Amino acid sequence: MKQTLMGNDAIAWGLIHANVDMVSGYPGTPSSEILTVVQQIKHKLNLNVYAEWGTNEKVGFEVAYAGAIAGKRTCATMKQVGLNVASDALMSAAYIGNLGGMLLIAADDPGFHSSQTEQDSRVFAKFARIPVLDPATPQDAYDLTKYGVELSEKFQIPVMLRPVMRVCHAREIIEMDEETNFKPNIGEFKRDVPRWGAVPRKDRFPQGKEQLNRIEVIKEYNWDNLLKSEFDKCEGKNRVLVITSGTGYGFTKETLSDLDLEADVVKVLMPYPLPVEQMRDRFKSYDKVLVVEEPYPCVEEQIASPNVYGKNTNSIHQIDEMSKEEILKAFQNIGFYEGENIYATPPSLDFEVEARPPALCPGCPHRDVYYAITKVFKKKKSIYPSDIGCYTLALAQGAIDSILCMGASVSMASGFSISDPDKTVVATIGDGTFFHSGIAPLINAVYQNHKFILVILDNSTIAMTGRQTTPSRANKDIDIKKIVEGMGIECMEHHYSYEMQDNIDFFREVKKVHADATGPTVVVVREFCILDRERAPEFIPNIFAKVDPELCIACDQCTTIYKCPPMAYNDDGVIEIDPFLCAGCGGCLDVVCPTDAFVQDFDYLKRGN
Amino acid sequence: MKYQIVIAGFGGQGVVFLVKVLAICAGNRNIAFLGTENHGMSQRGGSVSCDIKIGEFTNPVIDKNQADLMIALEKNEGLRNLAFLKLSGTLVTNAKDKDKYPELPFSGFAKIDAFKKAERGEFPIQGLNVYMLGFALVNDKNFPFSVQEVKDAITSMNAKVAEQNIVILDQAMRDAKESK
Repeated sequence: MKQTLMGNDAIAWGLIHANVDMVSGYPGTPSSEILTVVQQIKHKLNLNVYAEWGTNEKVGFEVAYAGAIAGKRTCATMKQVGLNVASDALMSAAYIGNLGGMLLIAADDPGFHSSQTEQDSRVFAKFARIPVLDPATPQDAYDLTKYGVELSEKFQIPVMLRPVMRVCHAREIIEMDEETNFKPNIGEFKRDVPRWGAVPRKDRFPQGKEQLNRIEVIKEYNWDNLLKSEFDKCEGKNRVLVITSGTGYGFTKETLSDLDLEADVVKVLMPYPLPVEQMRDRFKSYDKVLVVEEPYPCVEEQIASPNVYGKNTNSIHQIDEMSKEEILKAFQNIGFYEGENIYATPPSLDFEVEARPPALCPGCPHRDVYYAITKVFKKKKSIYPSDIGCYTLALAQGAIDSILCMGASVSMASGFSISDPDKTVVATIGDGTFFHSGIAPLINAVYQNHKFILVILDNSTIAMTGRQTTPSRANKDIDIKKIVEGMGIECMEHHYSYEMQDNIDFFREVKKVHADATGPTVVVVREFCILDRERAPEFIPNIFAKVDPELCIACDQCTTIYKCPPMAYNDDGVIEIDPFLCAGCGGCLDVVCPTDAFVQDFDYLKRGN
Repeated sequence: MKYQIVIAGFGGQGVVFLVKVLAICAGNRNIAFLGTENHGMSQRGGSVSCDIKIGEFTNPVIDKNQADLMIALEKNEGLRNLAFLKLSGTLVTNAKDKDKYPELPFSGFAKIDAFKKAERGEFPIQGLNVYMLGFALVNDKNFPFSVQEVKDAITSMNAKVAEQNIVILDQAMRDAKESK
């Protein structure tokens, strides 16, 4: 059956067609849609499937892994940095293995589109000694999802699928199974303490030996089932061989065709473990072998030989995502192409265009809260550690000093409070990130009496990745305030107000409490997400703003500290509010403008907006 | 057929919607295509550019100097992505009449102040993406799909809002012909 699908949709269908009935994970671009689409298929076809988010990637992985131990076919989904969080579980699971197939999906983001690192999950698979599959297109993603589940069940080890953003978010016509005959495995945990409860050194050492043997067997399997036929297709009349992994294949094929060049091209579907000897044997008939892969030299390092070129020989780009221009340059570097760069920008088209970085949405309560925090806790005397989420965009307001990884705001607040005690440390973290990995460092701060302020911004959704449900909103009302109180400290609570003075007054009170505190001062600010169709309407006052041009003195306060997207200077040098963008939150009417130039636009709705 | 289209705009303008419409057009005619979309950070008003390559391609990204058509939903987002358009290609862009627009070397070029039209209530701003698609249909003489094919795709995307979108598409095409 032909279907137009995005890569992540294709993966979701692949899971269902592989009879996977337990999917767990944590949202993160570019992986988030996979689990959501499984949920949609589940409801559409009325399937009995567990497809739910975990509180973090480690939890997600472990839920799915236990399912696979009990014989189910399972899957854990996450983005590449999420795999760092799940890595502790993965490293051991790679020794112990599983009975039902388990596919670990780690979606990479070459080019840093929405990630803090460009790490290569294939290298992580190699580190963990599990096989990894690298799709080049959504069709590959569908096929390899099914293949990976089978492979995992065959070799009793988790198998990784590593799609990159240009696969997850690519769209094409997919050929998929005609019908969905969903027949999941029956789950039954069979006690096997030496295996599932393997202890060092007695049980883990033999598992380690098995792991080494298994990898050798999978290498052979890779050659016999995937790679040999690829090499056999090469006619050997060309002098250059290009070894590609994932998207490298599609980019290489097009570049060759655009440049009218001929080379043999091998598509590596399983970049680890590689049957190195068999491959090297085939390299002999070529002058040069170029490896095209992203983002790290995973294949290249395994097959290194004197005539193999790639990132480590400085023949192709080492950072940033794939492009045909980079492949063209690599062809030039290895002396395979001597023509012009057909992908160059004509110099006449190099315009300076003002950057348009992502910003907090118009009407987002985070903006007002950060505004209030910087009003009360002055920059010179404060340090503002923050975390991963929408609120990271408050960087533009000058309200954030450090970003590391999920949950780090809290532990870094501890560290800053010790190392620079003269400043007030005001850390911010969202509710999703607090549940994900903010609780353990807060316990640490109470445990060690670290004096800082932690502001938990509770909008009750995982907003940045598409508003997935947070733990607090699903089954029970898991209350952040009670979690904090359970640590034996008070939790101050504030309900975000569109009247800015209320927010400022609250943080003044926080400042007072903090002055007398000996340990952490924790506050939870109850907010909402403006994109949350369920909750936002009850909070938005529909107070639309306009500018009184007589009052605007072009002082830049609103464009530098408040930073609401509809506000911009017009040709007369006066701030104007873009009526298409104003969300009607009323947040700017109070305090924000020193001359009170923002006034309510009473006719806004009457004008048919 | 091989035809590469860049759609440039910013988060919230419905850039991805247009990729989906064009994908359905290709699918309905059983023509292969590969597209790539922005998700995640770009939701928050940041720059969004999506590519769709119609015909036999093996990667979804449009490289520099390759696109046959660029539909820019906003002036600066168009200028930012000019490098992807080949000189024999066509640029259709939304740009305010009062803003200065540079001289460009492309074979095809058309601009319209769609913001002004939306401000005057001639069409709802949420339909800007469809409006610019209609504008492109008239101004790109090599546009790979017929008006009817586009309308069918819009209808199969979301039947509930299709009627309104088709009204916007027709209006944009009329405006485009008038401004020619």
